Order: sequence, then structure tokens, then C-alpha cells
Amino acid sequence: MTKVKRFISIASSAVLLVTMLSACGSGNTDNGTESTDGEASAKLPKISLFQSKVEIADQLETMTEKYKEETGNEIDVWGSAGDNYLTQLQAKLNAGEGPTIFGVQTGAETEKFKSYYYDMSNESYAKNIAPNMEVKIDGKLVGVPTGVEGFGLVYNKKLVDPAKITDLASFRTFLQDMKAKDINGFSLSQEAYFLIGHIINTPFALQQDPVQFVEQLNKGEVKMADTKEFKEFAEYMEAIRELASNPLETTYDSQMGDFATGKTAIVHQGNWSYGMLADYDDIEVGMMPFPLSGNQKLAVDIPAIWVINNKANAEEIKAANAFFEWLYNSESGKNIIVNEFKFIPAMTNIETSSLDPLSQAVSEATNSGNTIPWALTYFPQGIIVNDLAPVTQQFFLTPSMTGEQYLQKLDEVWAKAPK
Amino acid sequence: MKAIKNRGWYALFTLPLLLIFSTVVLIPFAIGIWYSFISWDGIPANPKVFVGFDNYVQIFQDDRFLKSAWLTIKFTFFALIIVNVLGLALSLLVTSKLRTSNLARTLFFMPNLIGGLILGYIWKFIFTDVFKYVGQNAGIDNVFFNWLLNPEYALYAIVVVFAWQMAGYTMIIYIAGIQGIPDDLMEAAKVDGANAWHKLTKIVFPLLMPSFTICLFLTLSGAFKIFDVNLSLTGGGPINSTEMFAMNIFNEIFGYSRYGIGQAKAIIFFVLVAAVTLVQVYITKKKEVQM
Amino acid sequence: MKTTSKWILEALLVLFALLFLSPIYIMLVNSFKTRSELYENALALPSSITFEYYSEAMDKMNFLTAFGNSLFVTLVSLVFIVVLAAMTAWMLVRTDNKLSQIIFMVLVSTMLIPFQTLMMPLMQVMGWIGDTLRIPMLNTHGGLIFMNIGFHASMAVFLYHGFIKSVPVALEEAATLDGCTKFGVFWRIVFPMLKTITITIAILDVIMMWNDYLLPSLTLSDKSLRTIPLSTFYFFGEFTIVWNLAMAGLTLSIIPVVIFYFVAQKHIIKGVAEGAVK
Repeated sequence: MTKVKRFISIASSAVLLVTMLSACGSGNTDNGTESTDGEASAKLPKISLFQSKVEIADQLETMTEKYKEETGNEIDVWGSAGDNYLTQLQAKLNAGEGPTIFGVQTGAETEKFKSYYYDMSNESYAKNIAPNMEVKIDGKLVGVPTGVEGFGLVYNKKLVDPAKITDLASFRTFLQDMKAKDINGFSLSQEAYFLIGHIINTPFALQQDPVQFVEQLNKGEVKMADTKEFKEFAEYMEAIRELASNPLETTYDSQMGDFATGKTAIVHQGNWSYGMLADYDDIEVGMMPFPLSGNQKLAVDIPAIWVINNKANAEEIKAANAFFEWLYNSESGKNIIVNEFKFIPAMTNIETSSLDPLSQAVSEATNSGNTIPWALTYFPQGIIVNDLAPVTQQFFLTPSMTGEQYLQKLDEVWAKAPK
Repeated sequence: MKAIKNRGWYALFTLPLLLIFSTVVLIPFAIGIWYSFISWDGIPANPKVFVGFDNYVQIFQDDRFLKSAWLTIKFTFFALIIVNVLGLALSLLVTSKLRTSNLARTLFFMPNLIGGLILGYIWKFIFTDVFKYVGQNAGIDNVFFNWLLNPEYALYAIVVVFAWQMAGYTMIIYIAGIQGIPDDLMEAAKVDGANAWHKLTKIVFPLLMPSFTICLFLTLSGAFKIFDVNLSLTGGGPINSTEMFAMNIFNEIFGYSRYGIGQAKAIIFFVLVAAVTLVQVYITKKKEVQM
Repeated sequence: MKTTSKWILEALLVLFALLFLSPIYIMLVNSFKTRSELYENALALPSSITFEYYSEAMDKMNFLTAFGNSLFVTLVSLVFIVVLAAMTAWMLVRTDNKLSQIIFMVLVSTMLIPFQTLMMPLMQVMGWIGDTLRIPMLNTHGGLIFMNIGFHASMAVFLYHGFIKSVPVALEEAATLDGCTKFGVFWRIVFPMLKTITITIAILDVIMMWNDYLLPSLTLSDKSLRTIPLSTFYFFGEFTIVWNLAMAGLTLSIIPVVIFYFVAQKHIIKGVAEGAVK
């Protein structure tokens, strides 16, 4: 209704303008400004929530309805296509129209937006964040983890016995066996993170102090080509190039399609990929660690946190806190996290019940502490997409490039990349 | 007295548009120039440090940027020729009195209705599935293979998609030009016994000069600024072989978070491109015939 | 002899046109497939035609609201662009002095600026206008329309500039002698003669604005304001696309433009025919 009115008002002012000018008079444009709605009294102000996971966009809508129903407060969920999120967030912050609550990936991205975080240290919902899952900057708790995610070798139980793949030699044997059966043993895919970002995490995470190692690498104090885990990693990559299908010809879609139909035995993926199997016939899957240098742990970490924008006004911050209180401490909130978002919670007060097999594996690893961190979140911004992926493409397209040359090239672009 | 009145009319006719245009384009662009002298990560709350010409100095040591600038020029060259030859040919075809021209006109224009991003995703299917299929089954796999995986061919893949999209676009403008050619002129030529080729080169082309100006310019600017198709079709790969200019800037600003350097790149390229295209507009404008 | 060559030409034209449509074909067939079917063969015809994805896409996109928003934004922007650009271009052509040349060159050269480099400062300026002048530019359709005008005006001026030259100056002079003001001359004489190019501009601008994702995504936040491209975001994840819904949504969103184009192009031909009769 208001739209119709607005249309009429704008259209008529346009017509008016033209006729006024036609009559040879002079005219002034005057855009009618709209009046704002009157404020409701007791209710908390409407807040906005902005995040990048398109997969839960629907569920977030359900959540806001539920939240409104139970508390009377409103949340506006903004939408963004996956790869456009940061652009939009940055643009909106620049216009001074930032969201009240927004999501950032852990690591370098969290660092980038750090001047915007409200200090949650004293909020009651923050008390239940699992140990080691707190994201702090300068001693202040800056966000609540959305959940935990993990990746590793996702395998088809019919084709793979995880006990038989324990090192490089057995990995090669496995690939050969599969190849003989006309099955692709192992698959990466062409998207930068799935091509190199995730798989290269393992040699980083196996260092004594991964974060420190990244820093040393930035300063040029260490080299991947001189580090044991990386040398072995390069041999794995050689084996993949030699014995498995070319990842550059594979998209995430076709990778999961091949996997679901039994044409691929193992994919290097995370628990999020389970959703891609939904349209196919049932398949029994599991997740095992990437056995580099005897590694027996899945890479599990907090992918992202939700933060409250400290540039919002006090009332809005209050409303945002009230929302988190509801989401993390009320029964319906907790229920939404587990059953709607299907997140593996990083909170001690939320029970998980019916997880899919991949999330189950991640959850078990978390509970037993059998995990390695996501060192990749501490990489310099943009380096995976802009530098590491192109070198890896070159590696897969140039059969004559040795693993050693590959590492040298990675070192080279790492040294050059902006930090 | 009359001069003042005329000036008043001039202002009345042009000011409303110029005002809006300035707010939306010119002022932001000026601010953008200012940012090219500043070191900043693009986050408003974070510090901005004035660094003078440092950003510009850095650019000229950036091989990747220079390479991407060269790629863009190469791409633009091919795109410009193919798009305009195709667009012109199509427009001549659909304005000749063929039974199917109306239908064809719509069909040729349809590609434009799909936005660049999705278009890239759809074409990815064609290059990966259709090309491979044709290559394997027709035995001509030296032409039909997945172009997107070959650093030499990936750029031409983008040229193909861009041409496919833009040809219909320029076609529309050429049609508008052709429709504007008075029929009596053509009749007169016919009476004088001019053959088709003569009619084309002696009458149609000179009178189409405004359309040429416009189409050349639009293709130039479209090709120089190409981003959507670049992103969705190749993402700049393989091995950075198709990272064109807009994408390079985008990666600088949003990938590496080096806002100032990204802006400086944009300014440099703008100056270059503006020089080239304005010369083009100047030359073709001169050739336009006043009625 | 002549007829056979004509027939060959005719057949070629249709064949070529169909080849041109191949991506549209991919779009259509995949709007009926499940993920596994698409994976099996992206090019094959769907095993069954069900409109379930269409209704799901419509539902998720909140199609009617989004359609209304897109229509409103596109049409209002278009009216302003056409009116303002035609007036400006006419003045620039008819007043041939240094100032006109400079204005024209500035307008034209700014078309070469990649949007990515303008968007941050643009958002700052718009935020500033909202804060200081109290005119809400962000998160309103009015603001988006304003920006649409600014971004598309230069191309429209450029197009008009080329075609206004074909309007005989003598006609305008005669009208001026009859006592018409500049405004009268422009609206009664010049503008009607620009019909063909006006429709061409309308077609080009409508398509650009209808499909635009980036600018609306930066300026509109509220769900109720979303245009069609914005409301398809649900289908585009970071690494994968929900193909059936995305293609169904896409098909739905281009139908109105196809109709618009079909109607508009008839007017191009008619407009010229009328001109010829006179």
C-alpha cells in the first residue's frame, strides 16, 4: 500500500516537474522525505543481523519468527549471496549503516574488523562458551562462536577402510588400487579453499605453534621447502596429481556428485558437505584425519563468530544482548541452533542429539580433544585465493613440476604477498 | 539580455542531471582519487595514513598488475572486433526484409537478459560439458576441449561469452541507426543502380557513424571494466592467466585489504583508458554526418 | 535464384539464432532437475516437468513483493533518466561551446570507471547525506533510484548526443520563430523525433537496472525492499548454487523483460514507419 502511495507521489512529482518546466517556468525539485514510524515504548528496538552463510538463511527467518513470538522483539535478517558478503558489510559500515550483529570468520578477518566489537566478557551467555573456544582480542571476549566445523578425508564406507590408510605409502597404494577398479581414489576440487586452502592446513597445524609458524613465514624466517611436514605434503600432492583425477576439472558440485555415486572414494571436505548428498541415494560416509606425518586428528575449529557492533546505540546493543541470551540460554534458542541450523555447538550448555555422520565425527573429535586447529584462518588476508590457488593450479597443470619446485613456488608467492 | 536568458535555459536543461551525476559519480570519484594517496584497509574505523605517491610507486613494481593490464588490453582488442562485426552483421540481417527477422531479433537479444554472473556459471557448463562432449565424439578435440583449463585459451573463452552477450546489445544500437536512414536515400541509390556493397559502404556506413561511435565506445568501456563474467567463468584462473583489470583491483581492495593501492591502480588505468577511448570518440565523432 | 538465396539466408538466421539460445536452454532444462539429475547430465532434458521448483523459488524469493519493488525502481529511474538525459544531451549538442564539450567529455569518460572503485566513497557520500542533510539515501527505493539516475545518465546522454544530430535544426528554428520557448521546442519537436533512440535507451537501461545486483545489494538492507536479483541470494552459496531454484528464479525474473523487449521493439519499427509516411 505504502509502495503504491510512494509510486504515485514520485510519479506525480515527476509529471509535475515536467509540466512546470514545459510551461516555461522554473522549478525546484523537492524530494518528499518520508516520516519515520513512531517508536513503540516498552519493546526493545528492532535490530539487524547480517551473516554470510546462505545455507541457514531460511532457518534464520524461522528463528526471527519464533523470537518475535516469544519475546515480542524483532530482528531484521539481511541477505547476501555467499561471496558478496564482505563487500556488502564493508560498504554498509562505510556508510555508517552497519548491522547490529554480524558474523566474521575467525583469524585474520576477525582482526580486520576488530574496532567494531562490543566487549562481551560480562554477558551471561558468554559464560557457557566451551574452553579454548573463546575468541579474545586484548583480553576482551569479542564474539560468540557460531559453532564448530571440521574437515578431513570424507570417505565412502563401502570403498574405504580408514585403518588401511595411515601414511604416504599406504595412501599411494590405495589410490593405485582404486585406479585399477576405475574409481577415483581421492578428490580435491577447483574452488580455492577446496583445492589448497584446507588441505594445506594440515602441515601448518602440525607445527609446534602454528600461529607463530605463519608469522615466521611472513617474516621470511622459515621456508615451507625446508620444513619436514611440507615436504611430505608435497609428496601427497604429487601422488594426487599422478593417481587421482584432476581437481581443476572438478567443481564442488561434481566432486560431491561423484562421491555420492561411488565414482570417487575419498573427498577432502568438511562436515558442511553432507548437505550436498541430500538429493542422492543413501550412502554411508565417515570422516578420517589426513594422515600426513602420522596425523590422527581432524581439523576442527570455530569457523566464525557473531559479534555485536559497538557503533550501534546503547538500546540496540541491549537488544542484541537480549537476543543472544535467548538464543544460547533458552530452550527454544538452543533447539534452533542444533535442529534448525544444524550447527555443532561450541557451548557447554547445549546438548547435541541427532547429528549427521560427518558432524558426529567432528563432535566426537571435539569432545575427546583429538583435533588440530585451523591455522589457515591466520594466513594473510586473501592469500589462499590470490596466491596459493594459482600456484596449485600450475602444479596440477604442469606434470613436470616437482613437489619441491611446488613448495619453492609457494614460498616465493608467500614472500611476495601483502601481509 | 538574450545571452543571459540562453544561459538560464542551458542551466535549466543540464543542471538537474549534472547535480545528480556529481553526487553519485564525480564526488565519489574525487574522494577515490584522494584515497589513492592513503594507506588504508577499507574499514572506516581503522586509521588512514597519508603516504603521498607511495601507492603509485608500488603499482609499477607489481608485475601482476602490469600483466593484468596487458591481458585486459588484449581482451578488449578481440572483444571489440568480434562484438562489433557480429553486432553489425546481425543488425543488417534482421533489418533486411526477412520473414523471420522479428523473431531472430528477439532471440539474438535474449542473452542480454541474463546477468553477467549467472551467465558465467551457465557457460561454465558449456565449456566443461558440451565442449568436452563434442570434442570426444566428433574427434576434433584440438578445438573442442575445456578451454577454461588452458591458460592460453581461457581468455578467449571470456571473449566468446562477452561477445555472445554484447553482440545483441550493439545490435540494438545498430538497428536504431539503420532505422534512422531515410528510405528515399536507399531508393535513390537503387534507381542509380548501386549494388548492395556500394549501398552499404557509400550510404549505410557513413550514416551509421553515430552508431559506430556509440557501439565502439560501449564495447570498449564494457570490455575494460569486465568483472562479472571474469569472476564467474574463470575466477582469474588458471594460474592467473585471466585476471583482468577490474578483478585485480577487486582482489587488491577486498582480498588483500589494501584499499589505497587498489584505488591508485584504478586511477592509473582510468587515465590510460580514458585517453584511448576519448581519442576514439573524438575521431569517430568527427566523421559523423550532420543532417 | 533470388528466392533460394533468401531462403538459405532465412534458414541460416534461424539456425544461428537457435545456437545463440543454447545457454537459455541450459537455464530452462536445469530449472526442472534435482541436484543428482543435474550432476548426471547438465544438458539432457529433465526426466519430468514439475513446477515445484518454480513455486518454491517464488515462495522463497517473495516473488510478488520483489517484482513490485523491481518494477517500481526500474520504471521510476527510467523516466528520470530519459527525461533528464534527453534534455541535457539536446542542450549540449545545440550549444556547441567549450563548456558543452567539457561536460560531454566528463560524462563520457566517467563511464570508464569500474564500479568497484566508486562504491566505498559512494556509500560514504550517501551516508553523509543521510546524516547531515537528513535525506535518507540508503535503505530506501528513492535513494536507489537517485543512484541509478546518476550511474546510467551518462550513457543515455551519450546515446542521445549521437542521435540528436539527425534532427534537422531548421525545424527547431521554425518552431522558435512561431514563438515556442526552448522548452516547447524540445518537448513538441525534438523529443518526439527521438522516439527510436529513446526506446533503445529504455530497453538497454531497463535490462541493466532490472538485473543489477551489486548496487541494490549495497544500498538496500530491509527484506521488504529487496528487488528480484537481491531476493535470489538464497540460492547462491559461497561454493555452490542451488541450481534448480536459481534457474527457476532466473527464468521467472527474465520473463517480464522479455515481454517488455518484445513490445518495445515493435515500437521501434512502427516509429520509423510513421516517420516515413510523413
